[in-house]
Amino acid sequence: MSVWNYVVTAHKPTNVTHSCVGNFTAPNQLNLIIAKCTRIEIHLLTPHGLQPMLDVPIYGRIATLELFRPHNEAQDFLFIATQRYKFCVLQWDAESSDLITRAMGDVSDRIGRPTDNGQIGIIDPDCRLIGLHLYDGLFKVIPFDNKGQLKEAFNIRLEELQVLDIKFLYGCSKPTIGVLYQDNKDARHVKTYEVSLKDKDFVEGPWSQSNLDNGAGLLIPVPLPLGGVIIIGEETIVYCSATAFKAIPIRPSIIRAYGRVDADGSRYLLSDHTGLLHLLVIIHEKERVTGLKIENLGETSVASTISYLDNAVVYVGSSYGDSQLIKLNLQPDEKGSYVEVLDRYVNLGPITDFCVVDLERQGQGQVVTCSGAYKDGSLRVVRNGIGINEQAAVELEGIKGLWSLKSSTDDPHDTFLVVSFITETRFLAMNMEDELEETEIEGFDAQTQTLYCQNAINDQLVQVTSNAVRLVSSTSRELLDQWNAPAGFSVNVATANASQVLLATGGGNLVYIEIRESKLVEVKHIQLEYEISCLDINPIGENSTHSSLAAVGMWTDISVRIFSLPGLELFKKENLGGEIIPRSVLLCAFEGVPYLLCALGDGHLFSFQLNISNGALGDRKKVSLGTQPISLRTFSSKDTTHVFAASDRPTVIYSSNKKLLYSNVNLKEVSHMCPFNTAAFPDSLAIAKEGELSIGTIDDIQKLHIRTIPLGEHARRICHQEKTRTFAICTLRAASTEDMETHFVRLLDDQSFDIISTYALDAYEYGCCVLSCSFAEDSNAYYCVGTAYVLPEENEPSKGRILIFAVEDGKLQLLAEKETKGAVYRLNSFNGKLLAAINQKIQLYKWVAREDGSHELQSECGHHGHILALYVQTRGDFIVVGDLMKSISLLVYKHEEGAIEELARDYNANWMTAVEILDDDVYLGAENNFNLFTVRKNSDAATDEERGRLEVVGEFHLGEFINCFRHGSLVMRLPDSDTGAIIPTVIFGTVNGVIGIVASLPHDQYLFLEKLQVNLVKVIKGVGGLSHEQWRSFNNEKKTVDARNFLDGDLIESFLDLSRVKMEEVSKTMGVPVEELCKRVEELTRLH
Amino acid sequence: MWTWKALKQREDGLLRPSAFRRGVVSSRASSLQLSNAKEFISLHRGAINSLEIDSTEGEGRYLLSAASDGTVAVFDTHRPTSSSTSSCASIAQHHPLFHLPRAHKFAISRALWYPVDTGLFITASFDHYVKLWDTNSTQVVLDYKLPAKVYGIAMSSIATSHSLIATATADVQVRLCDLASGAFAHTLSGHRDGVMSLEWSSSTEFVLITGGCDGAIRFWDIRRPGTFLLLDQSLSQLGTRPPLLPTPTPSNNESTSLPASSKSSSSTPILPAQKRRSHKKIQLKPPTQSSHPGMASSQNRATAHYGAVNGLRATADGFYLLSSGSDSRLRLWDIESGRNTLVNYEAMSIQTSKPIQLAVTPDSSLVFVPCLASLKAYDLWSGTTINTYRGHYESVNCCFFNAQYQELYTGSNDRQILVWSPSIPAATQIVYLYILGIP
Repeated sequence: MSVWNYVVTAHKPTNVTHSCVGNFTAPNQLNLIIAKCTRIEIHLLTPHGLQPMLDVPIYGRIATLELFRPHNEAQDFLFIATQRYKFCVLQWDAESSDLITRAMGDVSDRIGRPTDNGQIGIIDPDCRLIGLHLYDGLFKVIPFDNKGQLKEAFNIRLEELQVLDIKFLYGCSKPTIGVLYQDNKDARHVKTYEVSLKDKDFVEGPWSQSNLDNGAGLLIPVPLPLGGVIIIGEETIVYCSATAFKAIPIRPSIIRAYGRVDADGSRYLLSDHTGLLHLLVIIHEKERVTGLKIENLGETSVASTISYLDNAVVYVGSSYGDSQLIKLNLQPDEKGSYVEVLDRYVNLGPITDFCVVDLERQGQGQVVTCSGAYKDGSLRVVRNGIGINEQAAVELEGIKGLWSLKSSTDDPHDTFLVVSFITETRFLAMNMEDELEETEIEGFDAQTQTLYCQNAINDQLVQVTSNAVRLVSSTSRELLDQWNAPAGFSVNVATANASQVLLATGGGNLVYIEIRESKLVEVKHIQLEYEISCLDINPIGENSTHSSLAAVGMWTDISVRIFSLPGLELFKKENLGGEIIPRSVLLCAFEGVPYLLCALGDGHLFSFQLNISNGALGDRKKVSLGTQPISLRTFSSKDTTHVFAASDRPTVIYSSNKKLLYSNVNLKEVSHMCPFNTAAFPDSLAIAKEGELSIGTIDDIQKLHIRTIPLGEHARRICHQEKTRTFAICTLRAASTEDMETHFVRLLDDQSFDIISTYALDAYEYGCCVLSCSFAEDSNAYYCVGTAYVLPEENEPSKGRILIFAVEDGKLQLLAEKETKGAVYRLNSFNGKLLAAINQKIQLYKWVAREDGSHELQSECGHHGHILALYVQTRGDFIVVGDLMKSISLLVYKHEEGAIEELARDYNANWMTAVEILDDDVYLGAENNFNLFTVRKNSDAATDEERGRLEVVGEFHLGEFINCFRHGSLVMRLPDSDTGAIIPTVIFGTVNGVIGIVASLPHDQYLFLEKLQVNLVKVIKGVGGLSHEQWRSFNNEKKTVDARNFLDGDLIESFLDLSRVKMEEVSKTMGVPVEELCKRVEELTRLH
Repeated sequence: MWTWKALKQREDGLLRPSAFRRGVVSSRASSLQLSNAKEFISLHRGAINSLEIDSTEGEGRYLLSAASDGTVAVFDTHRPTSSSTSSCASIAQHHPLFHLPRAHKFAISRALWYPVDTGLFITASFDHYVKLWDTNSTQVVLDYKLPAKVYGIAMSSIATSHSLIATATADVQVRLCDLASGAFAHTLSGHRDGVMSLEWSSSTEFVLITGGCDGAIRFWDIRRPGTFLLLDQSLSQLGTRPPLLPTPTPSNNESTSLPASSKSSSSTPILPAQKRRSHKKIQLKPPTQSSHPGMASSQNRATAHYGAVNGLRATADGFYLLSSGSDSRLRLWDIESGRNTLVNYEAMSIQTSKPIQLAVTPDSSLVFVPCLASLKAYDLWSGTTINTYRGHYESVNCCFFNAQYQELYTGSNDRQILVWSPSIPAATQIVYLYILGIP
């Protein structure tokens, strides 16, 4: 790998951090706005559910998200503040369906200590000012003027140092805040302040409340007519105003999210840390509050945000599990729950660990993540491409074609499956027991190979064989009409639709036949100069039974031609170039855009945009899908048409955002495919593979396919063992009492994901890491687990264990254990030995055979000098350590001396969160402030000082907290593809559920893309006017420097979403044609 | 318990990375003890008066020490020069990278790194000289002769428009030496006695704070004549905000019925409003421009300490100032209002004859104060003693907190530089752990 890196998101963040509801897109439309850390999504509420309207990236981590309505406005504005102190006010532009920036600015102060408890951004309910609490001891005020414009901000000193929450109170003549804070003695209080805009200072507010619940952490302002606030504690909930004080005790719980149900503020939904949803009711007589009532409604994911939408439908956004759309029923179900889950939105976050495996052994990596937390913990199998779930299979050799037929034109289901072989054709049908059974269709010719088969209009079926076209009634199954090939000629290729047949006989003869009522009519016959290799007349116009165009692929001149129907006049001839003949052509339409697809015999595919009226072809693109001939076929899934390209690497072609996308399928080699939709196997596909015919359903068409394996407990570490085909995971299960957690090592089958064996760790023993390895002189595969004893009375784990397991008969067998003097944070296989990071120390263990044949771990050597050696990677004799706070250091193992020594280190004070070795000299690190950086070893430097220093060569602000790096790739690496084979990649997983790729580029490509990025920044403006350069600048407590040697792949790949005009603008400044740019960017998209 | 849990919570996104960092730093800072893994080999033959690590971006690596024998030395705090292996653990030894004998004729009172890079450093001495040194050649590039013993010097670490060295001398005037011109730029008159300590504001580059032997702490805006703020120990912060209502709210009765108010006996409301009205705003506003502002303030005899102010330290956020005096008091001032916060720091005894160097952790949770032969760490907000560090045999003159790795370096009359490091990688005692846990 290299120092020139390209960072791109393969799976966007899914952790929902904020949500709000309001009339954003139109005065009469209700919108749900969701923030997923660095993205916002705008949804429209419709009677059928949530309809996505916009999903845009924000150049910043969203700290606060609020909707507000300035005076004299009919709809809401959106206020966003980012964690790096930028804010913007956005408005919806209905004409362009896009966001426009009303105001933006910077609210940072040069000094001041950022708040520990998170930034607070609030807007006065009467829209007089915006209040921000960003630094300890300061409250920043951005006042609105009479016209709703923002005026200059100013700071007010806040004497309370540990602020937990601030909210504006309703119904105050002057803007008034309630401040929940903790004093020096850890007691918590609420105080109110009026903001005096004239004096730019606080005036003491109407009331205060001292000595609240010690766990009080959330304020809920209550609208008029009641006013006041609700203070949510861990054991009590208090309603408090200038005139009233009411409290109720609750079962101890930590409530982190609330949602207001009624506009008058008398009911609230509260969600606690165990995912229980409660309804809090303020009981009042007119405007006098008389009491509080709380009721348990049921269980959801642990909520980070709750938005009450309408009609008892609630959006529950979660950081630790899937987000949900729920309905609150009036009556409880049999389990006593009022909650009904209407929809779930996948969330991978927090990804604490993952491994890259190739379970199907297809050469394509998939990622298995430890996702979610607490009860929502799960494993997620993330793979690029689309899964086919096999339902039934029969052994059948030598299939040459597959078609499904209906018994009548109106039948929604298919009845017959026509399977063609080289010398015969067989007909299969579903019988009463839902089994496939061989049957007969009398009018069809079963003695020869079928070239094409099709349901035709008027309850007819058509079969094309090498010597005839047969028209058969689908009801009586009798032959109605027959067209015979002229003597001496046989049909080579044929195609048909419901009313037309096009076939080619030898000598370049092209015959067009129309299907009439019980009749086949030869309408036109022309002769072309070369032999015809493939044909298609799939209807893509408005008439679904009739096509006005025919696509024809030719031998010899390697061209594809578009003819008109019925005249067979040549509209267009497109030379494909090269020497490989087209083997399959297809006319199809995606998202209303007509395309011509043309597949070659070597696995390449051309795509063209097609003009239906004159057959003109444009936007020619070539991609490589495999190495063998491809056959193309359309199918439908969820009412959308997609194309299946059967070859040695089967692919589904679909369209998103009017861009063609290619997703591979988890099958090895497919020769033919046809849709087969029966009552027993709805929406299925019939697939001919090597020696087998199978029927399966297809997953949702999307780029990444995610499969969830719920565990019901929190998985933290995972590792795969190829030899035993198992996963080992470290999990924990929280018991009812607060501090008691039980930790397990569990063994899972890598196909079924069933837990097949469990080893429970001791009381207070935590599983810290798991590794699959084998040792020098012992090639057996072992699982090594590092643990820590976390005793309540101890400051720091002073004891841990290394456990060595073998998998025997599907069971975990403990073979050896070694006690350590601290927590075993990391284990690595190193030179046939075991390298452990134990607190401050790196320790190397040998695996030594004892006399009785058993083995034990023996300590060999170690290295001190770290604060906490948390992250360790090895390569050859080199060890790269990521320290808690001392950045990256490079150690080397000296075989002769049997010692580990430090070679070099980075003297910056980076607090590490993950490290990876890119190549012998370059190491990648992720640190605590969401940055990525690379350092390089200077082994050739002149002085000891320089050799002892890892030079920082790349810096980048990712905006994501990385927990884990792994070498690997999510895509199939095609040996002949231009980029895939040579660009090495590292995958990372983050707290927000992002799966990303760091790819090391060759220098010339890096320079080209860097130039493209610079030009794109000028064309693609950040939402809210936020600056891309500032967003990607490396930023920590000490410094902010521009990004270098890293490219923002998300920005570069958004080139493909630009309008043609903007693409041309970029192409002009780059001096590179648009097609060339598209091609190079598309190559990059195939990295993930 | 804490680190493991916090690491896990950080991994899960439960604990903000910034809060994680702060928690680790503050727990480590409060668990310092004499280091058994690191030592500085001091070649100084006199009392060590000054210790400082460079504050340049990303480095913070080189320790500058100066002693009363007129010597200066620089140590690498990261990379040991050798390690002696004793029976159990190895001790990393740090020898000076260079040691300059006879840098000054008399005792050096203070040595500073040039704030921008480590290419230059500045020393101040009782021989009346302030010298600017080139670090690489260890040669003097510039010197200033002052009229009296120099007690202290300071440069603003945030200044972008000036490069002034402020000097505190036994003379009543504070002189500003301009590095750009090599001449004196300015004198600030107002103190009635020698000036022992000085500190630039950490929020604005033009504000200088000086503490004199007359017990006064003066704030200067170097663009204007005269003092604009003089701290008065009798002015407390309470009652600066006018209450909305003339009487406090009646809800206090009900608060006793709170289910969770078991701790109510220990804590009183933070700001009892009725008591504060008695104070008048005497000093708050800068005097009006018409009546010679500099003169007006020099009439004011308000004092911050009874006796000399021998140590000043502003918190990193620029809101608070700590001052130590020969009255053996440590006071915490709110800079904006200029008021005494009345935090009562528990008993201490501070040496009276010399300026002392205080240290504050970057999160303003702890202050380290040399107290004769020991060093005390106080909670900045409550004034309670967190720890007393005993290791030196004679009076401690200076201390420096290395924020990067939470190490404390102390210099003493016993000619030793001691290293205090966290006893455990990351300790416990996170009082507000629970708040931190809320995402």
